Amino acid sequence: MDHGAHAAVMESHWGGGVSPFAATWQKTMMWIFIVTDGLLFSGLLCGYGFLRMANTIPWPKQSAVFSIPFIALMTFILITSSATMGTAVGAARLGDRRTAVRFLWLTILGGAAFLGCQAYEWTHVIHDGARLYGPLSGSELAHLGVPRQFPAAFFILTGFHGSHVLSGLVILTITALRTGLGKTPAQGVEMAGLYWHFVDLVWVFIFTLFYLV
Amino acid sequence: MSESTHGSPYRVYWITWAILLVITVAMLMAERFHMPRWFLIVFLVAFMMVKATMIGGNFMHLRFEKRNLAVMVAAGLLVTSLILFAYIAPESWSVLRSTVR
Repeated sequence: MDHGAHAAVMESHWGGGVSPFAATWQKTMMWIFIVTDGLLFSGLLCGYGFLRMANTIPWPKQSAVFSIPFIALMTFILITSSATMGTAVGAARLGDRRTAVRFLWLTILGGAAFLGCQAYEWTHVIHDGARLYGPLSGSELAHLGVPRQFPAAFFILTGFHGSHVLSGLVILTITALRTGLGKTPAQGVEMAGLYWHFVDLVWVFIFTLFYLV
Repeated sequence: MSESTHGSPYRVYWITWAILLVITVAMLMAERFHMPRWFLIVFLVAFMMVKATMIGGNFMHLRFEKRNLAVMVAAGLLVTSLILFAYIAPESWSVLRSTVR
């Protein structure tokens, strides 16, 4: 192969320039991470759908097992924390560090409240006899006749989501402290915000598909 | 909450928040209207997608990003999830049929 032909094959004709998404590499990588992490939850939700649709034992009515108003409260807390996070990102972009830090701490408060509610819900459901492998024989859930896949799906879905909330809280705490010290640029707050909104986004799917449908 | 929260820079987040709450309440109330099960599922899934679009568009700023980034994210998640579900759903029904027999 002569040099001209070799160059024609090897040379990139990429027309996207150095930033095809018009975003920094940090933001691009964050989005790629969000897509891959979203696929994890997509797989879990599809697995849950399989367990539910293939089950010969009817899936229980969610309101018989959970307090739906309490789950609605958790949803309200998470949506509100997303709004405070958005405000923190907006303030950081405008260079208003004080407002950014204040709203970051409000977001952390919301996230901690959500996790507290989830811990309460888990305690309640475990007390009713839910175990990862199925309901305890003789327990309240066993009397309701829930299939053994039901508590498994509950613990896996909400557990994975809760672990994301927990890691989000760690990221937000570090971001709030560093932003307060002027060490994190606006983009750092934005990256933390993307992750937090993603956690909220996943909850929208879990809330609808597991608790309401 | 500072004065600026109600001003134009952060308004989009709080309007989105209010709409998300209204949709959530509508989803919670839907069951009380005794609609057919298939219609309830379609209703809930449709509003779930509206909420997801609002979070992605307004909170995650996808509306304001370059379109190819938004398409990569939305198509990447939606298409792969649908393919995954399309492969799983018939399998689950066949498992159900074989178990019932």
